[in-house]
Amino acid sequence: MFDNRLSTAELLIQGCVRALHRGSPRAELFLRRRPPSRLLTRSGSRKSRSQEDEWRTKNKTVLTYITAAGVGMIGLSYAAVPLYRLYCQATGLGGAAVAGHDADQVETMKPVKERIIKVSFNADTHASIQWNFRPQQTEIYVVPGETALAFYRAKNPTDKPIIGISTYNVVPFDAGQYFNKIQCFCFEEQRLNPHEEVDMPVFFYIDPEFDDDPRMARVDTITLSYTFFEAKEGQNLPLPGYD
Amino acid sequence: MSTAMNFGTKSFKARAPDKGSFPLDHFGECKAFKEMFMKCLSENNFDNSRCRLQSKDYLECRMEKQLMAKEPLEKLGFKDLMDPPPSPENRGSKP
Repeated sequence: MFDNRLSTAELLIQGCVRALHRGSPRAELFLRRRPPSRLLTRSGSRKSRSQEDEWRTKNKTVLTYITAAGVGMIGLSYAAVPLYRLYCQATGLGGAAVAGHDADQVETMKPVKERIIKVSFNADTHASIQWNFRPQQTEIYVVPGETALAFYRAKNPTDKPIIGISTYNVVPFDAGQYFNKIQCFCFEEQRLNPHEEVDMPVFFYIDPEFDDDPRMARVDTITLSYTFFEAKEGQNLPLPGYD
Repeated sequence: MSTAMNFGTKSFKARAPDKGSFPLDHFGECKAFKEMFMKCLSENNFDNSRCRLQSKDYLECRMEKQLMAKEPLEKLGFKDLMDPPPSPENRGSKP
């Protein structure tokens, strides 16, 4: 039947081309997208019409489904915001949805003695602060799961007290998630009186899971870098999750 | 802090320290312990594992001089350096 239709179409096209030149009614019929009446039987026309109707309804259903799915996706993406907030409240992750470290972990963790990591220290100051700030050791060798202590020294050589506030950075970035500071001197204002020099300790450990992470397999050096800025009066810095 | 705004690159997320910030030792009250620790480090090739006793001493000094909140030393990871408790009543619930 399909072949019949094809050959019929060919005939029609030929007829159409001829008819266009002569302006016969057959061409109009073709242009109206209806096969000429002499080729149709009555049952054939009803069948093709119902089939076309069937297709039309099927198309419409499919189109409706697709539109509904699209609208549903858009709605979901809008609903995701309050839903995620609810999820965070329920599970207590509070936005920091990473495998956070447990403060009680320090008690129970076992040092991984085979994996020695060199932690090197870096100290920077912002251009406007006049402190002399430097680490007291260039590097220290630690193993994951063991707490370690390190010292920085800061001196205020000027004649007026200067308040500094610091932030830190850990390189490589991926290792930063395993670098846990128990106590340090960052994110809080530290005041140095004129000509005063203090030791600033950092008490930290590297999470023992560092050894299990395949991405950290080739990381042997972690660099901890502190930068001091001058804190101006009444300045409110956005401190990360600090109460 | 990473300043390159590349889509998809991880940036460093600074986290606040667990137990907050050390108060500054303005009067150098624990300087002696710090010197001992630094000396131990320089003698042992900066190996932290060999100087844990000195770091424990420094932190104990800080706690005594009110420069650090008092905490049982197990919570600071010094469980292995503590003497075992003489009586059956144990402080921590370690299996």
